[in-house]
Amino acid sequence: MVPARRTSSRAGERRLLVITALTIAVAIGYVALQNLQSSAIYYYTPTEAKQRQIAPGSTTRLGAQVEGGSLRYDPTERDLRFILTDGVTRVLVIGRGAPPALLREGAGAVVEGVFASDGSFRATGVIAKHDEVYVPPSPSATPAHRTP
Amino acid sequence: MTWGDVGAGALRAALPLALWGIVSAAYAARERDVRLLGSARWSALAAFALVLLAAVSMAAALLGHDMSIRYVAENNARATPAYFSAISLWAALEGSILLWTTILAGAVTYVAWRSTRSLPRLATTALAILFAMLSFFLALVVTPAADPFVRIDPAPLDGRGPNPLLQDHWLMGLHPPLVYLGYVLFSIPFAYAVASLILGESGDRWIVATRRSALVAWALLGVGIVAGAWWSYAVLGWGGYWAWDPVENAAIMPWLAATAYLHSVMVEEKRRMLRSWNLALVIGAFSLTILGTFLTRSGVVNSVHSFTQSAIGPLLLGYLAAVLAFSFGLLLWRLPRLAETGQIGAPLSREAIFLFQNVLFVAATAAVLLGTLYPLAVEAISGDQLSIGSPYFDRVEVPIALALLFLMGIGPQLPWHGASRATLERQFAGPVATAGAGAAVALLLGLRGAAPVLVWALAAFVVATVVQEMWRGVRARRMLHGESPATAFASLFRRSGRRYGGYVVHVGIAVIAVAIAMSQALSVRAEATLAPGSSMEVAGRTVTFLGLRDVAEARRQQVVADLRLSDGGELSTALSFYPNATSAIGSPGIRSTAGDDLYAILAAYDARGHAWATIQVRVIPLVSWLWIGGLIVGIGALIAALPAAKASERRRAVVLGTPRGAPVPAAEAK
Repeated sequence: MVPARRTSSRAGERRLLVITALTIAVAIGYVALQNLQSSAIYYYTPTEAKQRQIAPGSTTRLGAQVEGGSLRYDPTERDLRFILTDGVTRVLVIGRGAPPALLREGAGAVVEGVFASDGSFRATGVIAKHDEVYVPPSPSATPAHRTP
Repeated sequence: MTWGDVGAGALRAALPLALWGIVSAAYAARERDVRLLGSARWSALAAFALVLLAAVSMAAALLGHDMSIRYVAENNARATPAYFSAISLWAALEGSILLWTTILAGAVTYVAWRSTRSLPRLATTALAILFAMLSFFLALVVTPAADPFVRIDPAPLDGRGPNPLLQDHWLMGLHPPLVYLGYVLFSIPFAYAVASLILGESGDRWIVATRRSALVAWALLGVGIVAGAWWSYAVLGWGGYWAWDPVENAAIMPWLAATAYLHSVMVEEKRRMLRSWNLALVIGAFSLTILGTFLTRSGVVNSVHSFTQSAIGPLLLGYLAAVLAFSFGLLLWRLPRLAETGQIGAPLSREAIFLFQNVLFVAATAAVLLGTLYPLAVEAISGDQLSIGSPYFDRVEVPIALALLFLMGIGPQLPWHGASRATLERQFAGPVATAGAGAAVALLLGLRGAAPVLVWALAAFVVATVVQEMWRGVRARRMLHGESPATAFASLFRRSGRRYGGYVVHVGIAVIAVAIAMSQALSVRAEATLAPGSSMEVAGRTVTFLGLRDVAEARRQQVVADLRLSDGGELSTALSFYPNATSAIGSPGIRSTAGDDLYAILAAYDARGHAWATIQVRVIPLVSWLWIGGLIVGIGALIAALPAAKASERRRAVVLGTPRGAPVPAAEAK
């Protein structure tokens, strides 16, 4: 009698353990899936962003070229403005703080931020794209540049 | 003959040796042929010597600036200093694969010479599998896509130089090789696990035989990850050290899976449970190291690390698919033989805590994997490009990390099979009080919000349990052996290194958790545009901008901003212009103290007259404890990996109630 009861309580404990472990796993999976979509930051070119009519206020990455002669930085106000263009659509990007070293006129840049209701883009950060950082030292001494 | 010819020749000579190694080791294992085993051993040694020669040749070619080799021309310049030339061995894809192959050849040689005598069939079968992996990588390094010794004709006069980010900090010499060592050494437990499946063994011999290599691989990867975080903090200039970047994720995933494995094998050793689970974990951890290499090196993910895109991506993916299909296929085939004999005890037993710990670690790994691969899946299906931001990872991983901290405190204090109420009170009264004190400290420091306060409380809890455990161990030894406190303390580590080394690792993790919580929650940031002589205030400290100066070096031009701090200390931060980069690379100025770091970067400056500079200053509390915590983890793992005390003394330890840390040879003898 006593051993039988002990076995059944052991089995009950085991079932409790397995159920707890499964509950933990399911709960984590639920939290992960809930947060996956809301943390997704989509990447657009200015033309794509215009076509898709991205809602103002949702975090987006915008990638294009910094238009030549458009970069303005006011060191006292720490106000940074430049235009990103993909050749078709131009977007005014407004940020705060000194331009990061990797932001250069004529070079590619990816900025993260939100669209304002007036169509300009409020950047919260500039993301490096290392592939575009490289240039050969001089044309005559160029090792064959590998491309994907 | 140049170094390039030597290296290329050595790699091509090593490939047939590795292929012969597969055949001879497999045959030796099957037929118990000692002569062929000897042949496999010498093939391993010869292949290792040749691959090492190739790696040394590449280092020599880099140091000698031999621009006729494409890898050198692309990753080196005549002005590159010797240290950064030498470590350019792992600056790009081909060199990294060469380093990987060298470490793998070393692992093959280690198994061939160290392990095949004591465990002839298991180790020799594992050796054949390791030879097969080595053959794959040797075949890879002689294909044009990954051959490090490909020539260019005509040779350029000078090369492009290493990526600027890779020649800016000495840590680049440490972080990649540590991570690669960790990655590659996981091959040993994996090969033994597969060998055990092939031979149809049902015991834990493969676990006992590879306990040390699994631990060393885990520790090297962990320390390598911390070194990478430190590098990113010291070089990238945003004051952070972790961004859930795909490549960071690629390194943390196998580490998480391996942490689950290191704990669950203890359940198998003690309770004869979780056999198929452990096999699945080691296969999973090893597959994640290959996935990591694929993500880093194929260019499929956008990352600060994706320096090279290459044609070897599909080859690595094929290798990963083959490894997964072969090893999980084997596991399914052998599943009937892997019956469990032990049973799990009460919910408050050590094995139950290990079970929860494993569920959490595997869930943490899976969540990182989901966040890393999701953008790839979406892009493949819809063509949309996206990235998963750190909010996802923080929201999922932070609660898991808190739960794991909690389990880290209670697990080691609970006995196997289950605990009585009296045991619970005896074990937890002190630590719970300490946890309360930890929470109070957090509130006094100005922390608000559940997560950082909980981190302090749980870290205090963990440290208190460890201190209590060591105190009791010392007291027991003093009473039974009459040892002095210092001797008793030292013998705890010498005789039960696995257990007490593990405690040291736990302390290191608690230190890291506190450092992360503090540096994330309480860091202060300010930015100002200053004229020379003027100053700014950050967190009660005055930073005075003294002025700008130009520094010209052969490999780079620098603009240096000199700063004076309110305590009289000086600090400088620079922007460096490398000829191979269109934009400047920032070098943060960092003044570290035990309490906090002052982190300054030159964000912008007046290029014409040096009349102003925009300076960003961060004050980041306790961040240097993150690196120190990594070091503690490494030291603890080293203690745990060292051979335990001699047999006679171990018997006495069993009497004392500490029957853990049985040394490998004794266990293998059975």
